[in-house]
Amino acid sequence: MLRQRPRWWPRFSSTLRSTAVTARIGTALGVAISILFVTGLLSHYQYEPWTWLPQPAKPVWGYRLTQGIHVATGIATIPLLLVKLWSVYPNLFRFPPIRSIQHALERISLAILVSTALVQVITGFLNVLNWYPFPWYFVTVHRFLAYVLVGSLLLHIGVKLPDIAYGLKAKVTDADVLTEIPWNENPSSHSNAGTLAAPRTPGISRRGLLAAAGAGIGIVVVTSVGQTVTPLEPLGLLAPRQWTKGPQSVPVNRTADQARVFQAATSAEWTLQVQGPRPYELALADLEARAVHEARLPINCVEGWSVGASWRGLSLLELVRQAGGTADSRVLVQSFEENWGFNHSFIEGPQLEAALLATHLNGQGLDLDHGYPLRLIAPNRAGVLNTKWLSRIEVLS
Amino acid sequence: MKAWRIILAIAGISLGLFGVFRLVTEIPAHNLLVLALWMLAALAIHDGVLSPAVVTVSSALRRHVPDRGRRYLQIALIMGALITVIAIPMIFLRGSQPAAKALLLRNYGANLSLLIGIIAVITLSLYAVRVARDRPPPSAHGTQTAATKE
Repeated sequence: MLRQRPRWWPRFSSTLRSTAVTARIGTALGVAISILFVTGLLSHYQYEPWTWLPQPAKPVWGYRLTQGIHVATGIATIPLLLVKLWSVYPNLFRFPPIRSIQHALERISLAILVSTALVQVITGFLNVLNWYPFPWYFVTVHRFLAYVLVGSLLLHIGVKLPDIAYGLKAKVTDADVLTEIPWNENPSSHSNAGTLAAPRTPGISRRGLLAAAGAGIGIVVVTSVGQTVTPLEPLGLLAPRQWTKGPQSVPVNRTADQARVFQAATSAEWTLQVQGPRPYELALADLEARAVHEARLPINCVEGWSVGASWRGLSLLELVRQAGGTADSRVLVQSFEENWGFNHSFIEGPQLEAALLATHLNGQGLDLDHGYPLRLIAPNRAGVLNTKWLSRIEVLS
Repeated sequence: MKAWRIILAIAGISLGLFGVFRLVTEIPAHNLLVLALWMLAALAIHDGVLSPAVVTVSSALRRHVPDRGRRYLQIALIMGALITVIAIPMIFLRGSQPAAKALLLRNYGANLSLLIGIIAVITLSLYAVRVARDRPPPSAHGTQTAATKE
């Protein structure tokens, strides 16, 4: 085995990199990933709640907030992760590449951590952009890969805890220089050599680096978060969604064209079947007289964009009661759209009590793309679960 | 600290194995293979292309740009690069969606240029201020000596 590093082995001489710099960026990244994990789990709970703990209806903007934070944080995590990886890039070239079985295992766990982190943030962003250059179902892989990512991150923190403690305690300006030689194994390393002058960082300083990276990430957040924080829309130079450009000032995620519902939605024969102990049906002509309930509710998509809107429609709970159900019923809301997994949803508990079957949006009759002639809208509910183009309501219990 | 390290390691390994178990049991083998390729490609592209490019640019800057101006150029490049990473997929995908989705409608190329332009103007102004401040006040005998000192 080679004892000496070969001549061609990469050497890093920049004094910018330091365990103190990495520990600070890493802490920010750890906070970001924690936020992503918690808000991600909350979003998963929107889709698969436990029956004994239905989604609350208050605050009405709950999911708007948590999912808006999830996507904004996820977008910011892409540059943050790149800066973190830049700061430890020399570690990739430690010599010898493998020193012991323990060292080999650590390097494998790091490869898993780095690759899951990169794939997780990249595919998450591509999902926001509705581009799927991969064959798997995004939601399932994103969810389970999150466990792998957070698990390998916890392991990484455990392994690096002494470095993190040193790095956070040390001053950014005079801490060690991080190169391909580990600071705690290098007797001439700044941190082991006693009191020395701080390493010279000609050009940008370490503080300047942290500030520039923070400012870059800040610009990314400010120019993209307008798709969630609606007053910031004019600043949204890099925002994927532009709510003002949607029909009736509300974007959609699935158009009538994609759903192939044009014929069924515009048919004069349309009816809403209400099934339960006392089944009945409503025709188009019945809707207007009953559409007297109004609510101001945001539509908030899993992809992070959201916008508040004024809705008018029928009270779902009234229809359920008329069919023999109660406020404790579990209700299936079914679309006439075919061949799509989200062509129905279940609603119960506080959300059922507050839900509308909307016929009007922002003062006008519902646009075809918004689910004409009738759609569900409920507070604190993931966008796609507000089923559009309804054909049937079923009281299940 | 040792107890914490052990707790973190055990918790991390357990959670990670749980995730791997769920992936392996719920994702078809073909898709898992493609996922593994994505992960390898992400590592290879980051460690083999992107990072060496950054290192190359940094050392080129160190060799060819004087210290005083370099820091402003570095600030601009760091900020610009981090914004560009986010803008690139949107420039590429602009106009790919039905109009009603109100998705990817903006001119992201122009918007990125605008942001980079703003960053350039700000960092250039800061550099100009720095140069002006570094210049010693003209002496009574004329300004030639001040210029040669630098």
